[in-house]
Amino acid sequence: MPAANDRQLQELLAHPSVWRGRSRAAVETLPTGFAALDAGLPGGGWPRHGLVEILTPRPGVGELYLLLPVLAALSRATPARWCTWVSPPHEPFAPALEAHGVALERMLVVRTLSSRSAAKPSQRRRSDGVHLDLWALEQALRSGACEVALGWLPRASPRAIRRLQLAAEQGRALGVLYRNERFAHLASPAMLRVLLEPVNRDGRHGARLRLLKSRGGSREPIDVTWTAAAA
Amino acid sequence: MHPRSYRLKFPEPVPEADSGFPGSSATPSVLRVRPVSPPPKGPPKRPPSGPGEQPALALEPRELWIAAHVPQLSLLALRTATPAAAHGSLVVVDPEHPQRVIDADAQALAAGVRPGMTLGAALAAAPGIEARPRDLVRERELMQRLAGIAAAFTPQVSIEPPDGLLLEIKPSITLFGGLRELCRRLRDACRADPVFRQAGVAPHFTLAPTTLAALVAARAGARCFITDAAVLPARLKPLPLAALRWPEEHNARLTAMGVYTLGELMRLPRAGFARRFGPAMLADLDRLLGRRADPRTRLVRRERYRGVRDLDHEIEDHERLLQALAPLLAEMETFLRARQRGITALQCRFHHYRAAPTHCTLRLAAPEASAERFTGLLRERLATLTLPEPVRRCELRGGALTQRAVTSKPLWSPGERGHASAGEMPSLVEHLRARLGNDAVYGIERVPAHRPENAWRKSGKLGTDLFDDDIAAGPKKAASASISSSNKSVPNLRPLWLLGAPRPLEVQRGRPRHDGPLELLSGPERIESGWWDGADVRRDYYVAGDRHGMRLWIYREHADPARWFLHGIFG
Repeated sequence: MPAANDRQLQELLAHPSVWRGRSRAAVETLPTGFAALDAGLPGGGWPRHGLVEILTPRPGVGELYLLLPVLAALSRATPARWCTWVSPPHEPFAPALEAHGVALERMLVVRTLSSRSAAKPSQRRRSDGVHLDLWALEQALRSGACEVALGWLPRASPRAIRRLQLAAEQGRALGVLYRNERFAHLASPAMLRVLLEPVNRDGRHGARLRLLKSRGGSREPIDVTWTAAAA
Repeated sequence: MHPRSYRLKFPEPVPEADSGFPGSSATPSVLRVRPVSPPPKGPPKRPPSGPGEQPALALEPRELWIAAHVPQLSLLALRTATPAAAHGSLVVVDPEHPQRVIDADAQALAAGVRPGMTLGAALAAAPGIEARPRDLVRERELMQRLAGIAAAFTPQVSIEPPDGLLLEIKPSITLFGGLRELCRRLRDACRADPVFRQAGVAPHFTLAPTTLAALVAARAGARCFITDAAVLPARLKPLPLAALRWPEEHNARLTAMGVYTLGELMRLPRAGFARRFGPAMLADLDRLLGRRADPRTRLVRRERYRGVRDLDHEIEDHERLLQALAPLLAEMETFLRARQRGITALQCRFHHYRAAPTHCTLRLAAPEASAERFTGLLRERLATLTLPEPVRRCELRGGALTQRAVTSKPLWSPGERGHASAGEMPSLVEHLRARLGNDAVYGIERVPAHRPENAWRKSGKLGTDLFDDDIAAGPKKAASASISSSNKSVPNLRPLWLLGAPRPLEVQRGRPRHDGPLELLSGPERIESGWWDGADVRRDYYVAGDRHGMRLWIYREHADPARWFLHGIFG
């Protein structure tokens, strides 16, 4: 019965976890808040569950502005779940976040190199810190208690990223991994990889984004402007 | 209506065929009294004007009390405290009056020693006896132990010092499948208790609609299983006066009047009785017959779990240690589940050969009872623990028991199909804290202050309550929305990142540099505050752009050597 087989095959292929090379996979997405980026991303937004890798030349070039709209939306979602920050480079500034519509009571900051370990530096090596960062991010993603988990991990092996991707799918959370752009050439099992270059001239404050890896996303660079940012 | 009357079966090890339990024949109300009281020789019957002869309520009693009396408790306390003294005859003396014998064991009794004797007389009767002061602490412990058993049957348990226990069981009857079944289970539970079983002593149980009636019957060792308040006076009549435990002088006066039993007591005229013995005694009598309410405060046990395990061999490995703790954790779970309680703190102590014990404390955001959860958290905590020596013995101490919300398991796994995963919220925080320390995991909150470093703070109280109900979150959400709308002008001027401490910038030709010259994009914004708390701040803030396209938040101090600092990063 070829007709029946064909129908079964179509049903199978329509499954969200099946991804075919050229097609845009039917993934649940969240609007990014930037129209140009929405148009370029597969499914029209950030994936609802999974790991996104954002590569920047240095911290503080707009990678947080890129996520602010989705952070604000997710922090006000019901049912309430955490937005976890694992080892952010500086302190997230509460007044600014609140002014951008982020619900502060859903924020959870995790510092693996805390005051406790600072008191006993001899007992903790740097590799421990990285190991703990990975562990904390994986716990947050896997627990199902987080809507989104942001992690600043200086070093992460493809194997670790694979674990994070699986954890994000299991916990139905959006994981965001911030890394330096020098890792751009390395393979990564993340669902989506975005390279961010800051653009700050002619009075325009924004960024040029390239999708290094996506399931059917745009290959052209995408320009976004930080409307929420300083004048 | 024929009053139903029952006799109690359960205190006696051998049940009798004619026991008056429900279902058997309605036997005439007979009370057997163990200590033979002097034969009633009161005056002939009088009109019902006595304190006990008023018409009693013929209604279904509102309460049903079981009294448990431990015979010779002081003796039992001494025997169970020191098992070595089990042989030889033992008499108990009052610690305040060491010459007075309170109780004596079977051998001493056989030798002629009687409670109330002086010690000299007792020694004369039985020279080989050992006299010991009573151990009140141990007695209390035994009664609490009994109360613990009884608490499984009803929450209304109170100890009647020194040797009585009262349980109100009316609401529990249906739950335990009838009164008879409840009594049987209670008796079995007390018999199964190792301390009472080893000593061969079983408490004597009675059932009556009033507390005092049950107690008096229990103390007299009478069989008493009364569920009908109407027959109460008739059934109490043969009980001896001494079972009331009234002050010695009253008993002496009553005995002098020829009153030996409760029946004779009830026959006395109320007014005369009150005049001679005071209204308190009359009230006591009214309580005995259920004419006056007799509320009892229920015993609240302050319980903690504590378990100790000696290890067969020394352990250094964390995973093995966790395995060694597993039976204790399982025991604790049973303990907590039986009480429908949880704990928020748990301490492990690992004892070593020489070194001082290692302590490891676990704190939880929400009360928890599951051994699985504790094992998971302990695994993280133990991984960070350094042991000075191998562990020989481990000890587990639970914190105070708190009410635990008993929730049913959800159908969906967390996060699936929009399933609210409120249960996972505190568990994630605990999990992270167990491994990283308490300070490492925090929330952030806004503080209305002008100085940027004071405008936010870490909040350690990570809202477990916040996620419990969205109703509570509703107004909070609205409030924060109104704040943000009132601060509409601020967002563009505040950076998303704040540096932990302002970082000094180098200055070249009067202009600040940060990896190249900085271009001032907007400003200045003057922030001047804090003269009252010593952290005086006078700063001019600017937004600056560097050559990499970063937006920085920098300020110049207003002090004399005007220095530049980097304080925040936009984006």
